[in-house]
This record gives sequence, structure tokens and C-alpha cells, in this order.
Amino acid sequence: MTDPVDQLAAMPPPLAPALGKDLEAVLGNLTPVRTRRPLRHLLVLGALSLFYGAVLVVVLATRRDMRELPMGWLAGVALGWLFGFLVPSYFALVPRAGTMNPRWQVAAIAAVVAAVGFVSLGLAVHPMGPSSENYGVDRFGHGHTCLEIGLATALMPVVIGAVFLRGALPVGSRWIAAALGAGGGCLGGLVLHLHCRVADGLHVGLIHGGVVVIAALLSAAIVPRTVRQGSG
Amino acid sequence: MAYTAVGCMADAKDLMGRYCDGEANAFRELYALVSPRLYGYLVKMARSRPVADDLLQQTFMKVHRARTAYIRGADPVPWIYSIAHRTFLDEARRTKRAVVRVGDEDALLEIAADLEGQTVDRRDDGADPELVQAALDALASLPAQQREAVVLTKLEGKSVAEAAEIAGTTVGAMKVRAHRGYEALRNLLGKTPKTEPKTAAGGRQ
Repeated sequence: MTDPVDQLAAMPPPLAPALGKDLEAVLGNLTPVRTRRPLRHLLVLGALSLFYGAVLVVVLATRRDMRELPMGWLAGVALGWLFGFLVPSYFALVPRAGTMNPRWQVAAIAAVVAAVGFVSLGLAVHPMGPSSENYGVDRFGHGHTCLEIGLATALMPVVIGAVFLRGALPVGSRWIAAALGAGGGCLGGLVLHLHCRVADGLHVGLIHGGVVVIAALLSAAIVPRTVRQGSG
Repeated sequence: MAYTAVGCMADAKDLMGRYCDGEANAFRELYALVSPRLYGYLVKMARSRPVADDLLQQTFMKVHRARTAYIRGADPVPWIYSIAHRTFLDEARRTKRAVVRVGDEDALLEIAADLEGQTVDRRDDGADPELVQAALDALASLPAQQREAVVLTKLEGKSVAEAAEIAGTTVGAMKVRAHRGYEALRNLLGKTPKTEPKTAAGGRQ
């Protein structure tokens, strides 16, 4: 074996230092801990967030034009938002079986697909009824209330997810956070879908869909600091 | 050497689980099991034994703080490596160590240990110390990302997928880094004298 790299590779590992004083000290007070259960955490996140979303819809009231809109579209889009909430949340919280590191690449794809998909869908398909409102370009800025409602809704799953993932993400935390945010944004989109009667394409696409984009970006900017605590 | 990925993984899972149940000795065993390889990785990345010593302790302190994030039945070793990777990056950014002298004082070539922490006489392996030192010097001159890719895939025996998981990058990016790093290493070893210490510039993290 004359290749230096092969010789280096064949060398046994070096003698590691003994456990440090700090580590020995913490081992003196070691107590049992509850470990992470990703599927249970997903269930808790889903249940609490959906309950919170349902309360918001009840408090804010359902949209006046609901009965005038095609039921297939209404139910289909609601299912889409629900799917958009659950899928990125699943990839953010649940690693592959037998592993601990996050599936940040799949979570990233889910976040991007949700963000682009719901903006495009809202711009392209937005049926209106007689009671629907049309803000158009002139009153586009009035849609900020929807943005606020959507982001307030997204806060719940993002906070719960960040708590569950604390210390779990030494790598890939930004994309995982973005996926959590996108999932939360989709829950916000679902609440708006059931509450907001403004049905023009710009509002539905850029405001309702925009909630997903903004929630993902905000989450990616803020959450990694929290979830890296301990491990990062 | 009796190190096998499967055997190590099975033991590490069990030890991590017992450690989370409050068994301090399980943590000590886990440390004894993982630290030699991890230390080797950190020494090659940090290019300094004292820094690697500190990074190793920091890594295991973080493992301790984040132990509630463990998923029972999962292999904790890649996660621990990822924590070590992140700890190294944070340390490199913190100190902004642009240039590191690799020479006699900080010689990386030292007595090796087996997985139980027992020293191993590496002269028994038939390794030429000059060649090994030349490889270490060449390795030290690579940009950090390429160095990490070579260390993980070539020296630590990780698959490209495992290395990508540890470094938090894609398999494609890891392949490119490993390939470029290995090519650069071969070029350097083909050109430079074997034993001459050289100044190594740290690359982008």
C-alpha cells in the first residue's frame, strides 16, 4: 500500500481524550428524560393547530358567499390547503425510520411546492358568487387583514413544531423551519378559504397564497435559532 | 480493528437509549465507542489537537443537552457527527482562523487507539509515517468543504449519502466536493515533497 491517502485511511483512529470535567459533572446529576416521538408530535401539532384554526373560523365567521360557490371547488381547495398543512409538517417533524437527522431536502421541496402551488392556484382559479367581493388592483392593499389572520394562524403550528424540534436539528434547520412555516401558512390559507369572501385572483393568489410564502420565510429566518439550541 | 458500522450502530442505539433512561455509564460507553472516530474526524477538520479536544467535549456536551431529541431505535451516530460538524463550523466562524500552521508542534500523527480506547501501535499497520504526514499536510491545505468530504468519505469510510446527511448537504454536492477534494489531494501529493510542513489556508465553511 503506497498511496498516502490509503495509508491514512487505514490508520486506526487516534486516542481520544477522556471525558472532560464538565461532562463528568453533568453525568453526576443524570435523570431519565422523555425522548422525541415524531409521529406523536405530528399528531399533537396537527390536532392542536386544526382546533385553533377551527376556533378562528368560528370566531371570525364563515364566508357569506359559501353556498354560492361550487361545492367541489370549495371542498377540493380546502382539502388542498389541509394537505399543504400536513405534508410539509410531516417532513419537518418525522425523519426517515431509523435515523435522527431531518429530511430537509424533501421538506424544502414540500415548502416550495406549497408556496408556489397555492399562489399559482389562487391566481388561476377563483370562482365568485353574487355575495363575493372583488378588491382587484385598486383595493389590493386592503387585503392586509387576511395576511394578518393567516400569519396569526400559522404561528401556532410553527411554535409547536419549534418546541418539538428543539435540539434536534444540527443541520438543515433553515429548510425544516421553512417547511414548518409553509405548513402553518397553508393552515392560515385554509382558515382564510373558509372565512374570506374576497374572491378576486390577485387577493386569493397573492394574499392567501402569500401567507404561505411569508410564513415560510419568517419561520426560516427566526426558528433555526430556537431549534439549534442544545445541538447546534 | 473490530469497527463495523452495523455493530457500532446497534451498540450506539442501545447505549443512547440507556443513557436517556438516566444511566451515566451508558453515556461513558457511548463516548468510548464514538469518540475515537469522531475525534479523528475533528482532528483532521480542525488541524489542531487542542482545538479538536475542545470540540469533542463541546460536541458531547451538546449531545447531553439535546438528548431529549433522541428518537428511540434510531442510530445516533450520524446525528452526533452532525453536531460535531456544526460545532466545528461555529468554532471556525467564531475564531475566523484563516491560516493554520501545521507543523511539528501540532503534529496530527500520534498514537492511535482502537474502539475501546486502547492504544494501537500503528507501525504494525505497515504505514509509512512520512507518507501519512504528507497526506495530512495535503489534506490540511484543502478548502474546508472538500476536506470534510474527503475525510468523511475516504478516511472515515462513510457512504456519500451518510456524509451528505452529516454535513447537511445534498448527495450530489457531496459527490462533487469529494471528487474535487480527492483530485486536489492527489495533485498535491504528486507535486509536494513528502515531509515539508506547509502553511494551510482555511476555506469557506
